[in-house]
Amino acid sequence: MTSKQLSPEIEARIEALRPRFPVEHADKAMCIPVLTMAQEQFGHVDEEVCTLVATALNLPPAHVLGVATFYTMYNNKPVGRFHLQICTNIGRQILGAYDVWAQCKRRLGVGNHGTTEDDNITLSEVECIAACGYGPVAQIAERLKPDIPLYFENLDAERMTKILDALEEGRVPTELGS
Amino acid sequence: MGYFDVKIISEHFDVPEAKSLDYYESKGGYRMARQATKTAPAEIHAEVKKSNLRGRGGAGFPTGIKWGFVPKDSETVYLVVNADESEPGTFKDRHILFWNPHALIEGMIVAARSLGVRSAYIYIRGEMLREAPIVQDAIDQAYAKGYLGERCFGSDMHLDITLYRGAGAYICGEETALLSSLEGGRGWPRLKPPFPAVKGLWGKPTIVNNVETIANLPWILEHGGQAFADLGVGRSGGLRVVSVGGHINKPGVYELPLTVTGNQLIEEVCGGMRGGRKVKAVIPGGVSMPVLTPGELDVPFEFDALQTDERIAEVEVSPGVAFDLGGGKTLRTMAGSGGVIVMDEQTDMVSAAWRIVHFFAEESCGQCTPCREGTGWLAAVVKRIDQKQGRPGDVDLVASIADGIAGNTICALGDAAAWPTLAFLTKYRGEFEAKIKSSNYKPRATRENKAS
Repeated sequence: MTSKQLSPEIEARIEALRPRFPVEHADKAMCIPVLTMAQEQFGHVDEEVCTLVATALNLPPAHVLGVATFYTMYNNKPVGRFHLQICTNIGRQILGAYDVWAQCKRRLGVGNHGTTEDDNITLSEVECIAACGYGPVAQIAERLKPDIPLYFENLDAERMTKILDALEEGRVPTELGS
Repeated sequence: MGYFDVKIISEHFDVPEAKSLDYYESKGGYRMARQATKTAPAEIHAEVKKSNLRGRGGAGFPTGIKWGFVPKDSETVYLVVNADESEPGTFKDRHILFWNPHALIEGMIVAARSLGVRSAYIYIRGEMLREAPIVQDAIDQAYAKGYLGERCFGSDMHLDITLYRGAGAYICGEETALLSSLEGGRGWPRLKPPFPAVKGLWGKPTIVNNVETIANLPWILEHGGQAFADLGVGRSGGLRVVSVGGHINKPGVYELPLTVTGNQLIEEVCGGMRGGRKVKAVIPGGVSMPVLTPGELDVPFEFDALQTDERIAEVEVSPGVAFDLGGGKTLRTMAGSGGVIVMDEQTDMVSAAWRIVHFFAEESCGQCTPCREGTGWLAAVVKRIDQKQGRPGDVDLVASIADGIAGNTICALGDAAAWPTLAFLTKYRGEFEAKIKSSNYKPRATRENKAS
């Protein structure tokens, strides 16, 4: 039996969003927004969470799971408090992103999508995040705080060290972000 | 220099309060949206056609012609703004959304009036966590002022705008994949025809336009389509917002005349190369677009010039055999998404090629076999060449895989992976061959060569 429940806030947000779509298509159209809300609440979207979303929207659970596994921003397993995402795409590759990436892996002792033992930091290699002028670039998401969407640009070993220091202290180094 | 004299969208970039409605209005904003609500839809459409505005997302299709594909007397027409900017190298729409969201909303009101749209959507990239709240605030402000809603500017025009956040998928920048996603499914592209203008969102006629395309509309209405056409060259009207990254001194987003060449862009706009090094390669419009060599940079970065100028070499399948784009057309390059990546002489072109095909392998949606299997295969072979594990014949193998993908898929992602691969091989073949020559690859012993 499932013990998780979508929060009343999400139930309210679903009803507020519904009129933005044609009546007969609204349930399906809300699949992605509601999965996003569910991830804000639970930190990840696994089969159990997909079932909750499917029930809330009267959709087949298989459809919701298919959608959740298609998009890269849905974490299929729990992530750390901080999700550190490093772009290694070409714009950053040619400016040394793989050095920064290797530094993070070494320091945190994890591989791609790995989480530190204290559940503090999850490290992911991501594709282009549309900040190609100022690479290497990281984006840091903090669980339950969707309003920390900062970019950390022009990374080198020194800046990366400062960022990792701050995350290990339990804070996003907003002073280094933009 | 003069490149910065005229600006349409970027004039107030970097002004901290630029994103507020009050600031936007104090600079003359929303006058054209107000006027549009009182203007005949056909009149707006005529100005857009006259303007030679071409789609800024990648394909460069004339916007006025696209709008003309909507069947007359359609009861429901949707407008969807493609803000799913994810083509590596491209970050111009992110700047427009961040600094000038009201230009987008005003442009949407103009477009909606002309197209008879009552419900419009902005599909914004999920990763644009910083921009989504800014755009939502701008929408809310416009509603609060009565510029959106049941009676836009007190007229009988009804327009709702809904911000829809993606969740991480490059393919959703492809317009039919975007519609599949907006409907709540996986971002799977659909076969065209039918084109979205005829059968799009929920089966209704739908116009999908890029952020920059729409943000140009208020200026076109204010100054007239002819003035916009006059700003441009040939069949391409207006200016172009380009984003430039890589080994240059001043990376960033610039709104420039379409006459600016690659060399001018690097030297005069972007302050030259870092450390005074030489240019080795330039990707003119996102990684899907064939790369240019230093000798090809005197061509203006404009839609038609990049496709047809003979100073740009044709992309080949093998030395001396031009790649067939279909219908006997050959491929040089294209202006694409306006994302320019400049690489200096120290860049390893094999590594760069690997990173590009690796990206497409990651992002293939999986529907079409040539793309799903081909991009992964490309990435594997280019990677082994890069890591000095290349085998004799690998260069031809890469070319044949790429050629097997191109043109054989539902959407353009297949081409987007194949074209740059073939261009890298055409123009930097020697680097691939050199890596294979110095490869450490040892064929596994077979019965025959053991015996000998």
